[in-house]
Amino acid sequence: MLFSSVTFLFVFLPVTMALYYIVPQKFRNVIMLIASLIFYAWGEPIYIVLMVLSILLNYICGLDIEDKRDDPRKMRRSLIFAVVVNLLLLGFFKYYGFLLDSLNAVLPVDIPYRDLPLPIGISFYTFQAMSYIIDVYRGEAKSQKNILYFALYISMFPQLIAGPIVRYVDIEAQLKNRVLSMRKFGLGAEYFIIGLAKKVILANSIGQIYEQIASLQMGSFSVLTAWVGCISYAFQIYFDFSGYSDMAIGLGKMFGFEFRKNFDYPYISTSITEFWRRWHISLSTWFREYVYIPLGGNRCTQSRQIMNLLVVWMLTGLWHGAAWNFLFWGLYYGILLVLEKFVWGRKLERLPSAAKHIYSMVFVLIGWVFFFSPSLGYAFNYIGVMFGAGASAFADKQALFYVFTHWLLYLIAILGSSALGLNLLKQIIGGFNSARIRKVAAGVVYISIFLISVAYLVTETFNPFLYFRF
Amino acid sequence: MMQEKNIQRRGPGKNMILKYFVLVMIIAYIVVLMIYTSGSTKSFDKIEQAVESSLDTENLTKVDVQGLKRYYGLNSADYDGVMLYSSQKSMSTEEVLLIKVKNDGQMQHVRDAVQKRIENRKNDFEGYAPEQVKLLEQAQLSVRGKYLFLAIAPKAEAYKDAFAKSL
Repeated sequence: MLFSSVTFLFVFLPVTMALYYIVPQKFRNVIMLIASLIFYAWGEPIYIVLMVLSILLNYICGLDIEDKRDDPRKMRRSLIFAVVVNLLLLGFFKYYGFLLDSLNAVLPVDIPYRDLPLPIGISFYTFQAMSYIIDVYRGEAKSQKNILYFALYISMFPQLIAGPIVRYVDIEAQLKNRVLSMRKFGLGAEYFIIGLAKKVILANSIGQIYEQIASLQMGSFSVLTAWVGCISYAFQIYFDFSGYSDMAIGLGKMFGFEFRKNFDYPYISTSITEFWRRWHISLSTWFREYVYIPLGGNRCTQSRQIMNLLVVWMLTGLWHGAAWNFLFWGLYYGILLVLEKFVWGRKLERLPSAAKHIYSMVFVLIGWVFFFSPSLGYAFNYIGVMFGAGASAFADKQALFYVFTHWLLYLIAILGSSALGLNLLKQIIGGFNSARIRKVAAGVVYISIFLISVAYLVTETFNPFLYFRF
Repeated sequence: MMQEKNIQRRGPGKNMILKYFVLVMIIAYIVVLMIYTSGSTKSFDKIEQAVESSLDTENLTKVDVQGLKRYYGLNSADYDGVMLYSSQKSMSTEEVLLIKVKNDGQMQHVRDAVQKRIENRKNDFEGYAPEQVKLLEQAQLSVRGKYLFLAIAPKAEAYKDAFAKSL
């Protein structure tokens, strides 16, 4: 089930919310867990079994690690078992087709194989489970004795299928005790509505422009069209994913949970390093905590640091998808981050802000080409067109048509991808002297945004969700 | 010293046994998934050949690409492969359809079109051909990876088995 669907907005959420608030506090986790399982089973009835088995396995593995705390060797073995089984499960469902396709591409014979659809959210919930196992092993968290709490941690519907990836240590206490208040509920509703609008109004609308450009024959479009296509995709993926994260954070608040933010205006970054501190923060944090630092992080020789960065970024690329272009995309960022850290980082700092921003955006946009392309060959051809190679012209009527007919959409997208958009909204609401009028104004503004989003949802059929497949 | 002795004496704990038990359950679950729900990367021609060889061609005739548009409102060119057999008798609902979609996103659209076709046919035959309505109600629909298979026929189950075996 998608947050941006009529069924979720008008059936699932109100019913869950009503039950959650009506029942006594001790039953709230049960309601939340049942709702989460229904939410998942709605789209993936077969794979609910996989998620339940994964919950059981990790719950028992956590207890097993705790049992062996007095014997570090056995405890380490137990950790390795849990991590390997989790990685094998993720690897089987996500990467075995990719592996066999790659083998088929180099072998003289074609090996046919049985393929299974990717279980939704497996990358997210497997990473959450591994964070729990590793935190328990490190002694940063106690093993969870209550399976209800643990099952809720893994399956909680606000962040189940598209993150943010919540670390167990961050939510351990909230599983048992959390504060519900009208203020928190209202704040959560604001987050949710903003996220919904980002997804339904902005991401879906700009996504349609990208889809039109992506369907053009290579060589039939101009340099400008290629850039418009790439910029459109950049906005689409940002509003799509950050919108979903905002909705998850908002829903969390409405149910009393506090999740860390997952996006912090990444397109205002003035370096690639900064971009990755602002984009999909929960994933970067996961890789830093559980891969980069254990590999030695910064506390090793320069060559080892470079190796660590490249390994982490190749894995980050692969996490996003089982395809060579994702691997290349990860490596591309690994190399850029190495270059910023060891080659041109200091020189970059001395540049004017505008130049630094242009530098970051150009590399980020090129990165998105690897991300959206169906193959590496297509990506290189598309990048070629962006720089004039194989383009039909520098600018054509088609490009100008996209820019002039959608200028307002792009303007809102620019405002919305920086703090300007939200500040403007706050100024509109906060511009009244009376606190009561401010409250009414906030209600009117947010309800209007919600109704416009619903109108888009009902009338538009184009409602993909890009991070679903990860 | 005392602690060391305790460690040495301890056998595999309850959780140690349980985790292996769950692992076995996971493996069994994956085996079941592979047998009953997986798709196949075999070429469309191979699957088509295997399904065709099982069909009773006395009642069923191969329909050209236009048939898919006429009956289901779908364009053959949008898919990796299409095979459609239908009965030429006007009072028969027998039909066998095999489609390989190009991407997972197309599957829901195809599935909806198939459901709509079954409903339309039910409406057409409702009231005066109950045995044909029964065939439609017992239609065998199977989605395996990128393949969708539909059989409306007295031997629908056998056709579906042939499809499953061909993957």
